[in-house]
Amino acid sequence: MKYRFPLASALVAAIVVSGIAISASAQRDAVVRPARTADGHPNLSGIWQAMNTAHWDLEDHSPSPSQLYQTGAVGATPGGQGVVEGGEIPYKPDALARKKLNFASRLSLDPEVKCYMPGIPRATYMPFPFQIVQAPNMVLMAYEFASSDRVINMGKPVEAAVDTWMGTANGRWDGEALVVDNTGFNDKTWFDRAGNFHSDQLHVIERFTLMDQDHLLYEATIEDPQTFTRPWKISMPLYRRVEKNVQLTDFKCVEYAEELLYGHLRKDPSK
Amino acid sequence: MNRLLLASALAVAIAVAPLATSPILGQAPKASAAPKTPWGDPDIQGWFSNLSENGTPLEKPAQFAGRNLEDIKGEELTSIKQAAQNRTIESFAGPLHAPEDWWQKDLNMVKGSQAWLVIDPPDGKVPALTPEATARTAAAAEARRANPRGPSDSWEDRSLYDRCITRGLPGSMLPAIYGNSYQILQTPDYVAIRYEMIHETRIIPLDGRPHVSSKVRTHMGDARGHWEGDTLVVETTNFRDESSYRNSNASTLRLVERFTRVGPKTVKWSVTVEDPKTWVRPWTFAMPLTMDDTQPVLEYACHEGNLGLRNILSAARSEEEAARANK
Repeated sequence: MKYRFPLASALVAAIVVSGIAISASAQRDAVVRPARTADGHPNLSGIWQAMNTAHWDLEDHSPSPSQLYQTGAVGATPGGQGVVEGGEIPYKPDALARKKLNFASRLSLDPEVKCYMPGIPRATYMPFPFQIVQAPNMVLMAYEFASSDRVINMGKPVEAAVDTWMGTANGRWDGEALVVDNTGFNDKTWFDRAGNFHSDQLHVIERFTLMDQDHLLYEATIEDPQTFTRPWKISMPLYRRVEKNVQLTDFKCVEYAEELLYGHLRKDPSK
Repeated sequence: MNRLLLASALAVAIAVAPLATSPILGQAPKASAAPKTPWGDPDIQGWFSNLSENGTPLEKPAQFAGRNLEDIKGEELTSIKQAAQNRTIESFAGPLHAPEDWWQKDLNMVKGSQAWLVIDPPDGKVPALTPEATARTAAAAEARRANPRGPSDSWEDRSLYDRCITRGLPGSMLPAIYGNSYQILQTPDYVAIRYEMIHETRIIPLDGRPHVSSKVRTHMGDARGHWEGDTLVVETTNFRDESSYRNSNASTLRLVERFTRVGPKTVKWSVTVEDPKTWVRPWTFAMPLTMDDTQPVLEYACHEGNLGLRNILSAARSEEEAARANK
């Protein structure tokens, strides 16, 4: 919204070069990507990843130790500058108290630990890549974490049929930006590992805007009158994964959470 | 809501049943028939459902000995499918059956399009196992005898399906009694297939890149696609031992799928299964994929709501406790 980038000249050049679907060539991905799809919209297809500490804490935060000393430096939290406009998430007093409790008990409460679907916007800035597949009438966003995904309906907006982890997404183009209106969330996902959370009244409006071919501006406005005193916004660049032949590698983490979830139900061989 | 108990019962039904191809099986698609994407590839996009193909046996049943798949059609096929539907409903009778509104009103086997799935070899049977595969199977059975386990000593004794991890390939493409919806999307560079059941997404690159290293193994494998005329050919390798199709050798299994749009709502799909360490020859089965706009993919939070697995394990522990108390 407030962001303006020197897009025009880069896009004009890119359109001249590409514009058309090109036949398969080993060099294609490395050299030329169509800046626009066949229907004329900016082409966001690609594998993207955040490079910041929003996943640990959306707000400004200092480095801190792991809750499990055994994990040493590996489990510690890197400090970082926040991605929340204005610096702080505007919690209602009760909600702020719950956020603090969440943080204190994060190893047992964070849905990420249990390999649950991460929800929106968290899926976007986890330390895993995700892939945008921009088809003519639908935009698929597939996330490496937990095989989660969502399809953004680009046609007539639909109502959420039921509350879900990843929500119901209706998209539209606003000039150069893909705007995604997300509703129909449950209250089980978090925003980060710091215990930032929401209710089932969550409404997320995202904007994806290409800054250049390899940088995608991600903005998300978060509304939840049950939890926050006003809407608030995060923004960050997403970076295209440009490695040759890069692809997602399924991270089916259920297997890694089963001992945690079901270990107490394992047969005791001593009995 | 959790439907895993139903799912495991269904896994049995699927093993007994599998799916099917169709009247279209013998037809060569006309090159001009397939609608095209804006960039000129054949268009196979849409919402699909395999609901009607549930319950078709993989191999040719003995009752059809000497007959061809395409000859079993019309009333004969309908009566076979009606009988399969009746058997399915009966199999869930009894006090522990799943609520009927979860599945019976959608049960549509009567519209199933073929009597069995294997189209090559011509006898409709999965080829013989290699000596190596026979030995592998025997060794696994011996290991189970040497170290007997109950069916629910741990989650690891349950299937990957019960555990909401994966149905693998080609399992994810095959029908079940519910959750049959899936979606195909296309760009010039990729074809993506999203399955509702368990929630799986396959993203298939079309740019001719090589497979990833054999050290990178995933349940859904590493897929590469290309267009051969109107047919999308998808070759998948790099499977994992735990989920390799029909206990094949994960490091040598290669699945070649072919997707061809043959009608307004139909994509012909076949799978050639190759694993020289498991079968004496490659074999192929086929099934039509049916577009159905009324069955969009909904989010199936299988693991998140997996009370079924928790209940299976806790029930087994309770039974053991009760047995000890009765001693």
